Amino acid sequence: MGIWDAFSDIVEAVTPWSVVEAEAPAEDKEEQPEAESKDDDDEDEEEEEEDEDEIVDPKDVLEEECRNSAQCHPAKHHFDECVERVQQQEENDGGAKEDCVEEFFHLAHCATACAAPKLWAKLK
Amino acid sequence: MLARSSMRSTRILNGLKNGAATASKRAASSSSSAAGEASATRMNLAAAASTSLALGSIAWYYHLYGPVAFASTPAEEGLHSTKYPWVHSQLFKTYDHQALRRGFQVYQEVCASCHSLSRVPYRTLVGTILTVNEAKALAEENEFPGEPNDEGEIEMRPGKLADYMPAPYKNEEAARFANNGALPPDLSLIIKARHGGCDYIFSLLTGYPEEPPAGVVVAPGMNFNPYFPGTGIAMARVLYDGLLEYEDETPASTSQMAKDVVEFLNWAAEPEMDDRKRMGMKVLVVSASLWAVSVWVKRYKWAWVKSRKIAYDPPKEVKVRR
Repeated sequence: MGIWDAFSDIVEAVTPWSVVEAEAPAEDKEEQPEAESKDDDDEDEEEEEEDEDEIVDPKDVLEEECRNSAQCHPAKHHFDECVERVQQQEENDGGAKEDCVEEFFHLAHCATACAAPKLWAKLK
Repeated sequence: MLARSSMRSTRILNGLKNGAATASKRAASSSSSAAGEASATRMNLAAAASTSLALGSIAWYYHLYGPVAFASTPAEEGLHSTKYPWVHSQLFKTYDHQALRRGFQVYQEVCASCHSLSRVPYRTLVGTILTVNEAKALAEENEFPGEPNDEGEIEMRPGKLADYMPAPYKNEEAARFANNGALPPDLSLIIKARHGGCDYIFSLLTGYPEEPPAGVVVAPGMNFNPYFPGTGIAMARVLYDGLLEYEDETPASTSQMAKDVVEFLNWAAEPEMDDRKRMGMKVLVVSASLWAVSVWVKRYKWAWVKSRKIAYDPPKEVKVRR
């Protein structure tokens, strides 16, 4: 603990930003085992709770909402129509003459673009 | 003006056609009524012909070269990824290092079984994602060839911070053999290596539909993903809700894991981003300060110019006879 440490301590105390430590703080290590064992118990309980109510992906929910919104109605209309047409072809002619990739693309593009900002607000 | 000059030229042409007999009275001939009507129709004809030739040539050109040939169908092109508002790509924002830590966990537990990260050494994780001790412990889990011993044999030693992350397969052939002929790409620079970057990888990971749209034939061993060019991708969907448990207890939904791992991969591709933005900020600060200094110095240097007063002192009338 020389005089330069005192200077650097003062500078550190005055500077408004914090210093990022690559080393884990040594003081916490002694306390950690006890704390961890407590945490483990808590985690087990929480895990059981979490297993009961499953995690729902917000992306799926938001995109489903967007697909059914007025904004994506034309794309969804075309996609549904295409699916119906292709299914009829498969039933009547034994094979599809076309696919619904383009319609699917338009619908997916509309739904994801509509859901993107809402999704980012929900994700961490 | 143009019409008048063209009139004059037709008049001269008429004069030439009529020959020497009318040459003497060329002014009179052009003013005669019959010849005047004929020249007017000729003039209109010429104008119409030239205009239609011009328009026709333009139309022909566009018929030949106008339409651009699109060689590939939208399915072959792949669905363009949606733009997501990534925080770390904003001008004054850094990576979220908690997200990097989560993303590294996703890479280790999910991606690392097939994809290598061979350009990232353990030492780069220190301070950005892991602590020194965590990174050392992680490196020691793997063995690397060490120095030759007394007999010249290379012995294996536990990994050090300076070592690079081990690849899941020995070489490309082994990777292809294990994955039905498809090569899982190295992920070190994948964000920079793919058109669309973060958005593309995120869309690809989360974009697998429940089932391919009607009428699509998916090749055996392939999976339908709209974002992959050609829509047939060998990698199956890997991220499912609750696949892993985050140490910070963030709910591990598919999109959360995809977002974290994409941010981690972006860090792997450009680990210098935080420093780069800091340097950019320094440049702005320094140049702003220098500008301020230069403004003050200019004021100082110009002070005597700006504050001087010009007075005219007229010579006194001298009562001296010149």
